[in-house]
Amino acid sequence: MTAAATGKILRSPGHPAGALPRAEKAQPLLQVRGLSVRFQTDAGPLQAVDGVDLDLHPGETLAIVGESGSGKSVLSLALMGLLPKIATVTAERLRFAGHDLLSLAPRDWQRLRGREMSMIFQEPATALNPVRSVGAQIVEAIRLHEKVSRKAAWARAVEMLRQTGIPAPERRAAAYPHELSGGMRQRAMIAMSLVLRPSLLIADEPTTALDVTVQAQILDLLRGLARESGTAIVIITHDLGVVAEMADRVQVLYAGRAVESATAAALFDGPEHPYTVGLLGSMPSKGERAEALTPIEGSIPDLRALPPGCHFHPRCPFAAPRCRAERPPLAPVYPGHETACWFSPLLETLGEGAGREGT
Amino acid sequence: MIGTTPTSLRPSVPPSLPPSLPPSLPPSLPQPRAHSRTLRRLLANPVVALAAGFLVLITLAAILVPLVSPFDPYETTLRLRLKPPGGDWLLGTDTQGRDLLTRLLYGTRTTLLLGFTGVIFGTLLGGGIGILAAFYRRLDGPLMRLIDVFLSFPSILFGLSLAAVLGPGLDSLILAIGLSVMPGIARIARGAAASVMAQEYMDGGRVIGLPDRILMTRYLLANCAAPILVYVTLAFGDAVLLAASLGFLGLGLQPPMAELGSIAAEGRSFLFIAPHVSTAASALIFCIVLSFNLLGDAFRDAADKRFT
Repeated sequence: MTAAATGKILRSPGHPAGALPRAEKAQPLLQVRGLSVRFQTDAGPLQAVDGVDLDLHPGETLAIVGESGSGKSVLSLALMGLLPKIATVTAERLRFAGHDLLSLAPRDWQRLRGREMSMIFQEPATALNPVRSVGAQIVEAIRLHEKVSRKAAWARAVEMLRQTGIPAPERRAAAYPHELSGGMRQRAMIAMSLVLRPSLLIADEPTTALDVTVQAQILDLLRGLARESGTAIVIITHDLGVVAEMADRVQVLYAGRAVESATAAALFDGPEHPYTVGLLGSMPSKGERAEALTPIEGSIPDLRALPPGCHFHPRCPFAAPRCRAERPPLAPVYPGHETACWFSPLLETLGEGAGREGT
Repeated sequence: MIGTTPTSLRPSVPPSLPPSLPPSLPPSLPQPRAHSRTLRRLLANPVVALAAGFLVLITLAAILVPLVSPFDPYETTLRLRLKPPGGDWLLGTDTQGRDLLTRLLYGTRTTLLLGFTGVIFGTLLGGGIGILAAFYRRLDGPLMRLIDVFLSFPSILFGLSLAAVLGPGLDSLILAIGLSVMPGIARIARGAAASVMAQEYMDGGRVIGLPDRILMTRYLLANCAAPILVYVTLAFGDAVLLAASLGFLGLGLQPPMAELGSIAAEGRSFLFIAPHVSTAASALIFCIVLSFNLLGDAFRDAADKRFT
């Protein structure tokens, strides 16, 4: 294979099937069960992602939230088959649009990427090839998957750039990435990844590197274009503002494990994992000026030396002896709302006041 | 929307461009290409200009000499041998009574041609090896160890043994020169390519489904071509020197043909009675090699300024 770097993919033996099967509306576009990624490092193996389940339906937007080091970017690279060879990807099930990603040949990956699944990166300044004009790069993507003339592909590239709101797209198509501003580069990146109307777009922190004034525009654009082409989005972010703007469902990752999974509305309404509560508490908001922000104490643990039991217990204000000894499974609290905490539902077990304020 | 956390602006945005242009403003035009400006700045340095000028001049002279020179480069007139410079012959005559300037220019032709084709051959080979080693990590170890083996041979020894195996002649010379510049180019190419491999746009190319072939050429090679080409300019000096050295040792082309190194060797026996033959040939080799080195250094400095 290519250094394309899917990493070695093995089928894990019997991983206990995640949660109870949800009422299947339709065949999900992306179905992940028990996805794990392990890196062989000099200091021993590192479990970057540990048994994550995902379901994504066509046109849906799923946000994956977590701090730096929670494994969210590794997860996205695993879905695109882009991990380096030192990574070992195992899963009980990894299906996308009828393909089994675990046994996909390099050639089939190439056919899938760009046309069926695409990705945009955090840093548009480095994610575009600096020696080719943005138009040429979009044309390349089109002509790779469809038999069209160079001229027709160019016209489509310009049209796509126009749709992303780039002024004077005819001229901008001939510009090199360094000649564009950050916001425009990200628009060009979006144009390139959506020009073939893929059914899945993975957006890895698409607005983090951008100026605040541009962030909202880019999110609007992403949402509009995705809705128009029926593209499902997995948006990777640490920014709960982005989640509130974009997501239908949210999956919260901590130290490589999913700790909470819910609809965006349910999550903002009543977070059920102390970590999520902490994330919400450390987010600035309008209105509650009197209160100081409540940061989560400590930092994410070293993935090579994870604490026993619940990985979050050293930082958790509610930690009890049981949390230090036993790892809570991801289990439903309410229909469609799962969390991995011995105390869920939090309000009932810990009483009023445990919810919003964090501590 | 809910407060998104502002992050610092990327440092790579050119200060002249605002981070985003409101659509109402006239769009900023693409800036003029940097190449012409870089070239002009390079030539503003008198040493560089002199070196470049000399190389252009000597190359033109070597190309045009059959049209310009009134002398035949091969016809020998023993009566006129070893005439000192001045008079009818600008640089005097050589050991066979041929006009030395004409011989030297014909010799420059051969030497430059050998250096040029040798370097092209070495660049294709070395560049290919370096790119492959960086792209396929699996090949990195074996390929680079092979390069280390090549590096441990002195290039003259290479030339001598190749000439012994293949017999003296144009092809074995080109092969020897190519193989002696190849390892350096392979190392530079691999280093440059490895740093490009770490760039996000390599993944950016993958996510649109590009096959390895295109990733290696339009993405990897295109982005590390500049440092490779800078090194190639430096390698030209080495290649010319090696071509002349092999010629001096008699491995170059066979006698009636002119080659700078062999002209220097011919004059060696008459160094005391007619020093002009060896001196002129050696001086010409010196000037050509020096010019290539100066030019290469200047390119490298200019490139460093742009890359960092």
